[in-house]
Amino acid sequence: MNLEAKNITVSYGNSVVLSDATHTFEEGKISVVLGPNGCGKTTLIKALVRKFANTGKLAYIPQEIYGDVGLTVRETVALGRYDKSRFFTGETEEDRKHIDDALKLMELSDKQDRIYDTLSGGEKQRAMAARAISQDAEWFIMDEPSSNLDIVHTKHILDTAGRLVKEQGKSFIIVLHDINDAAHYGDEFVLMREGRIIKVSDTLSAELLEETYGTSFGEVKTSSGQTIFYAS
Amino acid sequence: MQEHNNHSDRFLIKLTIAVIMLLCVMAVSLCLGSSGVSIGDVIKYFTGRGEMIPKTTLTIIGRIRIPRTLTAALVGGALASVGCIMQGVFRNPMADPSVLGISSGAALGAAVAIVTGLNGVIMFGAFTGAYIGAIIGALVTWLMVFTIATRNGHYDTSSTLLAGIAISSIMSALITVLMTLHLEQMERVYLWMLGTFSASTAEKTKILVIAVCILMPVLIIIAPRIDVMKLGREAALTLGVNQKRTLAITLAACSALLAMCVANSGIIGFVGLIIPHIVSFFRVTRMRRRLALSFFTGAVFMVVCDTVCKTVVAPGELAIGAVTSLIGAPYFLILLMRSRIRSGKEKTSV
Repeated sequence: MNLEAKNITVSYGNSVVLSDATHTFEEGKISVVLGPNGCGKTTLIKALVRKFANTGKLAYIPQEIYGDVGLTVRETVALGRYDKSRFFTGETEEDRKHIDDALKLMELSDKQDRIYDTLSGGEKQRAMAARAISQDAEWFIMDEPSSNLDIVHTKHILDTAGRLVKEQGKSFIIVLHDINDAAHYGDEFVLMREGRIIKVSDTLSAELLEETYGTSFGEVKTSSGQTIFYAS
Repeated sequence: MQEHNNHSDRFLIKLTIAVIMLLCVMAVSLCLGSSGVSIGDVIKYFTGRGEMIPKTTLTIIGRIRIPRTLTAALVGGALASVGCIMQGVFRNPMADPSVLGISSGAALGAAVAIVTGLNGVIMFGAFTGAYIGAIIGALVTWLMVFTIATRNGHYDTSSTLLAGIAISSIMSALITVLMTLHLEQMERVYLWMLGTFSASTAEKTKILVIAVCILMPVLIIIAPRIDVMKLGREAALTLGVNQKRTLAITLAACSALLAMCVANSGIIGFVGLIIPHIVSFFRVTRMRRRLALSFFTGAVFMVVCDTVCKTVVAPGELAIGAVTSLIGAPYFLILLMRSRIRSGKEKTSV
């Protein structure tokens, strides 16, 4: 299933935060949404989630969640199974397997009985990722999954995304700030500025980034052939 | 895996203990009051040997003690449940119907019905206009708090509390104005606002039983969705939980339940605030379980408080609100201190 955004416009009061966004996100890819702060990235993916939520094939990981959760890590992850639960059966063997696998994948098995709110920022984010994974959806839509993560765990989450795409044919839409992470993991780049999708490209270049962020960029090639971008 | 099965077993044990405790305190409460009734007479009453008890005792048990004890249990359970749900919905440990002014709103609605003479009996012999007024008052207040506290689809903790406190004082002020304008009704409204179970009758209790039997299952069914909503509006939507619809059902059921309690026995604060916290100390986390345990714990607490009310200054009565605070607050503080000490120990051992 492809996710098609067609002429989406969102405004709060008089200010238009997303205008006329049209793009078809194709399955089996990691699509990265890039752009400066306040350009409408979160608004775009939230609009997509609202449009396709009733298909039951989406998992969404928000940038942060507000207020106390008050559940254990395991119970938080188990929320991902809610739409499959029935009133009288409770947690099934299949549910338990998905929850255990997700906890293991995000390296939280030993913390599963801790209360979610007592976790560190990075652990919380991994718990939310595990929650989405336990949902066993086709599409994962992630808003800034790396904002609270150290470099090791960022790599771990993005590597996991890559593996899920390759091995299980899952699809990802990820909002990222780090352009080099984006360049390394993305199959497609949706570039946004001032509430519009300005370009969609399969590769990143210093020129594209300049157009997106409005500042000049340079690039260097590493000895292993990887391109590193920097704002100059 | 084994461990998690144990967890759910332990929940059932906790729930069973709460239910047994409720039955025990209710039995004690039936025996105590301005005139003593022996536990033997209470047992005879329930085992269908009423002809062996003196007539006055029979009347005391059947017409006074049972309605009162049952009312205390149901109101305690309902208030604790509403508090438990509200703390989950607002994701705020301070949320409580009395703190957020919903109780005052219900009281205002009921007071308006009383002073305007719209307090006639509608059905079941005791369902009066005051109940309808209380439901409307509670709903309107809750909508006001929600509207003011919502920002981009989530609730700002401090603005929820501030809005609630402000609205609460507006409602209280309006009740005062209303009482001043209708001096002849003042005593009646005032006594009822302090909260009491002394005016319980079999008819009033029946209404409460019906309300709890209809509304508690609604809350039990909807409770897991409140857990899912903690993930945020969009993530909940992908799990088939529509935030607006869930909130509307929750709001309506809680308002109606709360309004029934307020119309029956006035404003009794503190129960909705502390009982869910006490349940947290028992390490119960999921909303449906919290709700079930809150109901029975709240019921036990209220029956104990009411028993204290009617015995310590017998044949006089203490105000139930004063007793809930005097018993509940110190207990709550002790639990709070002990949990601090425990977490402190954990820190040093790491």
